[in-house]
Formats: sequence, C-alpha cells, structure tokens
Amino acid sequence: MDTDFCRKEIMPMEGRNKLEIKKLSKVFINNDSFEVAIENVSLDVKENEFLVLLGPGACGKSVLLNIVSGLLKPTSGEVYIDEKLSQGVNSQIGFVFQNLGVMPWLSVRDNVAFPDKLHKVPKKKRYERAQKYIDLVGLNGFEKHYPRQLSGGMKQRVGIARAYASIPEILLMDEPFGQLDAQTRYSMQDEILKIWNQNKKTVIFVTNNIEEAVYLGDRIILFSARPMTVKGVYDLNDLKRPRDYTDSRFLDIRKEISNHTDLVIK
Amino acid sequence: MGNPNKIENEVAALREENKKRKIRTIVRGIISILTFLIFWQLLCTFGIVNDKVLASPIQVINAIFTKIVDPRPDGNILIVNILASFKLAMIGFFLALIAGLPLGLLMGWYRPVDKLLRPIFEMIRPLPPIAWIPIVIVLLGIGTVAKSFIIFFTTFVPIVINSYTGIRETNQVYINYAKTCGYSNWKIFCTVGIPSAMPLAFAGMVIALGNGWGTLIAAEMLASSSGLGYMILMGRNYGRIDTIIAGMLVIGLIGLGLTTTLRKVENRVLKWRLK
Amino acid sequence: MNAMMKNSGVYKILLNILPVISILLFASLWQLASKNGGIIPTPLDVYRRAGRLLVKPVNNISLAGHIWASMKRVLMGLLAGCVVGIPFGLLIGWNQKCCDYLKPLFELVRPIPALAWIPLMTLWFGIGETSKTALIFTGTVMPVVINTYTGVRLIPQINIDVASVFGATEFQTIKEVVIPCSLSAIMAGVKTAMGTAWIIVLAAEMISANSGLGFMIIRGSDVADLPLVIFAMIIIGVIGAVLSWILTFAERKLCPWKVEIN
Repeated sequence: MDTDFCRKEIMPMEGRNKLEIKKLSKVFINNDSFEVAIENVSLDVKENEFLVLLGPGACGKSVLLNIVSGLLKPTSGEVYIDEKLSQGVNSQIGFVFQNLGVMPWLSVRDNVAFPDKLHKVPKKKRYERAQKYIDLVGLNGFEKHYPRQLSGGMKQRVGIARAYASIPEILLMDEPFGQLDAQTRYSMQDEILKIWNQNKKTVIFVTNNIEEAVYLGDRIILFSARPMTVKGVYDLNDLKRPRDYTDSRFLDIRKEISNHTDLVIK
Repeated sequence: MGNPNKIENEVAALREENKKRKIRTIVRGIISILTFLIFWQLLCTFGIVNDKVLASPIQVINAIFTKIVDPRPDGNILIVNILASFKLAMIGFFLALIAGLPLGLLMGWYRPVDKLLRPIFEMIRPLPPIAWIPIVIVLLGIGTVAKSFIIFFTTFVPIVINSYTGIRETNQVYINYAKTCGYSNWKIFCTVGIPSAMPLAFAGMVIALGNGWGTLIAAEMLASSSGLGYMILMGRNYGRIDTIIAGMLVIGLIGLGLTTTLRKVENRVLKWRLK
Repeated sequence: MNAMMKNSGVYKILLNILPVISILLFASLWQLASKNGGIIPTPLDVYRRAGRLLVKPVNNISLAGHIWASMKRVLMGLLAGCVVGIPFGLLIGWNQKCCDYLKPLFELVRPIPALAWIPLMTLWFGIGETSKTALIFTGTVMPVVINTYTGVRLIPQINIDVASVFGATEFQTIKEVVIPCSLSAIMAGVKTAMGTAWIIVLAAEMISANSGLGFMIIRGSDVADLPLVIFAMIIIGVIGAVLSWILTFAERKLCPWKVEIN
C-alpha cells in the first residue's frame, strides 16, 4: 500500500489552501447493518489547481464530493473552505453532476441562466451572461433546444456551462464524462482543460479512469475501495501540458498508479 | 485503521435518530387524529353545531352498534345491508373480471381482435356507468340483475383498459427470445405476454373495485330496498345523521378492506417478480 | 398465419375493414333488438327525437342550456377541487412535518366513495347548486391531492440537489423545481378528477335537479321517453371524450418537454 512515491497525508505547500478536509468519515446505516463509506480521509486542495480524485467505482468519491458541496452531512470530521468551517450548502461551490442533472423542463438557455435566476438577476442580463457560457462550451445555436433533443455530450456541456455561470470559487465535477462514449470523452477532456485555462478556478474532478486522471490533473489523489481511505498522492506538475496519452512518461505514471489501485471490487 | 469505537458510536447515534424520527411520525399522526375527534366531539357537545346537522363521534359509534340489532330506519339490520351490498359488488366484479381480463389481453395481443372490438369498446368507454342506470332499470327492472349489471359496467372498463395496456408493454426482448426458442404465437402469449401484463392488470382491478364499490352505493340510492347506499339514503330521509355518518364509515371501511385484500392477493400472485 | 401473409397489402385492408364490420354489426343488432323487443327504440327513433329536441326544449331549457348546466357544475367543482387540492398536495408532499400531521386525516376520509357523500351533502346544503358543487368538490379533491402528493414525492432527488447547490431558498425550490417537475402528475390527477366530477354531476342531477343532462335522463325515463334517454347518453359520451381530449391537449402544451410515448 505504501511506496516511496506517495504519502498518506499531504504536507501543505506554500500558498493558501482553498479547501481542507480533516478526518472525514461517513457511515450509512441500513436496516440491520451499517456501511463505512469514507474512513478518516484528510486532504488539502490548493488554489486554482486541477485536482483529480481517482478510485475504483462506487468507492465513495461521489459521497465525498456531496459532503464537500454540503448536500450530505459527514458523520465526523470537518470541511474548511478558505480556512473557515463549511456547514450546509455553499453557493460558492459549483457542481457538475454525474447523471447530468440538467433540468428537462428548461431550455439550454434557461438551464445555464438558472443560477442567475435564483439570484434574481433580471431576464435580459441573465440571458446575456448565459449566452457567454453557452458559447464557451460550444453550444452556440442550441440555446432554445430542450435537453431531450440533445446528445449526452451536449447535455453534459450544458451542465458545465451552468456550473461556470454561477461563478463558483470551487468547481466540483462528479464523473462528468462517465456516461459518454469514448470519442466524446476525449474531446470533452480537451474542452474542459481549454475552459479551465481560460477561466482559472479550483477544480476537484472525480473519475475512475486512470488515463483520464493522468491526462487532466495537476495532482491525483488515489483512493481505496470502501471503506474509502487515501491510498496515495501523485504530483503531476512536472508533466507538461498539453499531455499525450502515448508519451512514455505519461505511461510510466499511469503504470505506477495502476499498480496501486484496488482492482478488486468488493 | 480508523477508530472502531468511534464508528460504533456514530452508528448507534444514527440509529437512534432514525428510530426517533419514525416514532415522531406515528405520534404526530395519532395527535392529529385525536385532536380532530375531540374537536368534533366538543362541537357537538357544546351545541355549537346544530345536532340536526352533525352527529358526534360517540353518537355515530352508538348508531353502528345499535344498527347491528335495530332494523330502523330503513328496515334492515346492519349485517343484512352489508351483505346485500357486498354480494352485488362481488357478482359484478367477478363477472367483469371473467369477461374483461381475457378480452383486454386478447385485444392487446391480436390485432384483428383489437380492430374488431375497439370501436364498440370506445363507444361504451366514455359513458359514466351512472348514466346507464335508468335504461337498465327499464330493461331489467329494479333488482339484483340490474344492479349487478351496472357494477359489471363500472368494473369492466378499467380492467380491460389496464390489461390491454399491460400486455402492450411487454418487453420486446422477451418476446424475441421466446421466438428464437420456437414458441408459437399462442404460447408466447401465454408464457410471456400474460405474466408481463399482470402488474398493470392488477392495478386496473384495484381501480375497478374502488369505482365499482362507489357506483354500487349510488345505484342502491336510486333503485334498491337494501344495501348500504339505501341505508344512508334512508338515514337522510328520516333525518338520522348518526346513521348517515355511521353508514359512510362502514362503506369506507369495507371499500378499504376490499382494496387491501386485492393488493395482498396481488403480492402473492406476483411473487415470481422477485425471482 | 405466417409473417409473409401478415405483411401483405391484402391483410392490411382486411384488418381495416373489421372496425367497419363491427359497427355495422352493432347497428343491425340494435335495430333487430328494437324491432323484436318493442321497448328499445331504434336508432332512427333516437335520431328523430334528437331533431325534435332541438326545436322543443325539455323543461323549458334548450339542449345547449342543459349541457351548459352540467358543464358549469363540473367546472366550478373542479376548480374548487384544484384550488384546494393542489396546494394541499404540494404541502404534504414537500414538508415532512405537515405530512405527518395532515396525511392521516386525509387517509381517514379517502376510502369513502364520493357518491356516498350525497345524503350528507343534501342534508347540509339542500338540493340546490351549493350541495352539488360541494359534492363535486369532495370527489375531485381526492385524486388531485393524491396525484399531486405522488408527483412531488417522485421528483428525482438530483433536481432538488441542483437547486440547493446553486443557492435556492425553499420557496425558490418549490417554485422553480417542484412545481414544473410534478406538473404532469398534477395533470393526470386533474384528468381523473374530471372523470369523477362528471359521474358525480350526473348522479346529483339524477337525484335532484331541474336542469342538466342527468336531469334529462331521469325525465326521459320517468315518462318512458327512451329515445331521449339514449340521446342524452350519447351526448354525455361525446362530451366526456371531448373534455378528456382537451385535457390531454392542455397537458401537452404545459409540459412540452415530455417525450411522447406512443
């Protein structure tokens, strides 16, 4: 489980930590049994970094993300944002959901303008702003379409545009490309990096795909299966962008990580 | 690796919370119903509401117990009324089941049958069964046959519609699989189509029973000398609110009992679904 | 019949003749039954009676007047049922506390069939319009509440999460998410309520009224004017179908994002 490359707890680097998770645990109760989803996880997220949370399917990464956003309460442990304790839902945090979460009764434009509507921004201004983000994700021309008329990739882009439109300080993305076919997935990965480069934010990206993690992340935190704990931290800042799936250094890192993952599904 | 004691504590705390929540729900429900009953009783006791207009809960319960032996005001004791209504509901329902279930299934499966019988069915469907009562009375007189017929109509429609829809929704994958096994159309109908249709068909039966029970009460008000509908109508004619409310409660209880029983039967029959 | 025969054009034509055959069969059976029975009027009788009806009104009210009388009662009762039922259903669907307190009371009243309220309502409100509206109200409020409640409960959690994450207040969540999401369930409830309302209106009119289609039926059967009865039934059927179509159309307009399932 331990190697000389990674450590269990990250030592904070200089510069502020945007987000800190301290000794987080989450337990779910069923009728006669209970399940420890997350066990004593601690990690830091630096400002404006693209952090990837990698782990096998259903290990608890989504649960962790939901706790960070405030949708779920932890059983024990705390979340600090900008060094202040975070309780409940924080609207400084944008969320791109796994199962799309795009509202089917609203057009693309209304979906992207939704956060603004909640903040009572007048209609004209909302639509102007929404248009900017719709263009950003490349959905120009589809403003009035309804989600059921869009492909999976397009729906996911609406979700991203919407999350960006709420001008979050932290962007959480929960396996956003999981439902897409391989081709769309690759192009969406480039898209998200492009958008991130234009609008630098702190991003926490959850995935179970090792290649995707190495392609996207500044740092990767590797998780075990349930009960989820931190298995390792990988610093990829020396891997230059844009990254290449076939680059030898890329493949080395990928191999190292895959040797450490929990390949057994419990 | 973590702190086992701490986790145990957390789990225990969460369980406590869950239990508390469930108890809270039940307690609130009980408080709510008791408050309602007490409020009702007080309204009557203090004469805030005229006793010609509302009977208190105590009077209603009294009426029920009295009716068990007292034939006034409608001429039958309680159990006679209950049985009269129950008998009619059952006859009508089972006839509709025997006729409607196969009909709906066949119509849904075989296009020729659908094309042939649909127009007639669509003509009958929009008519509320109540509207049939006068004609039925003229043709069949005021009697058991007429009333069973009306119940038949009421229950027939939902059963046919639901079994039709149910069998139409059969998963094509299963049908294709059966075809590859070399089954004839009839065999596929029996082994794949009918079981698939059962959940919706049962839903239709529950609706049918509910509607049928309600229509029966109305039919008894219009053309009967026994039964629960007749009983509450007589209650009204003699100004006996307690009988009216008592009757309504009994009607409600029995209706509830019928649908609950049907649902239990459905769960038994559909046990295979879990496999 | 093998697949090849099934696909042939001839088979398709034969198939489409069947409905026509069945209607003709039905009409001729009717004709036969009326000739032999002596009581049942022939289709021609009904047609003639309809013609007379347009000239000479029943109880001094024209056909249109009767239709409107029934419709008016249905609409008023339905409106009352929705105005009370929809907010109530939303309340108990959304708020757990309210649900705990109010749902048991609702469940107490629910098993009582709408028509069983007739004696009570006529005792309380007499036999005028008020009692009819009250009756229809009782009948419509049940399906509306049940369907609204179910609609709210079935909202996918993710839609509510989306609203939370972007900072919606509870009121905003209800306005922007709960109501649009449960709209189609509410419409289903209104459709069912419409059917129930129609049944109640007829029953109420048959028992005590001076106008309306139910009244026409009773009047017709009182004086053994069966063609009138049958004609009234036909009108009722037609109106019922039209109303149902209007509601389906309304649902499609209100919920354009729903994919049609054929």
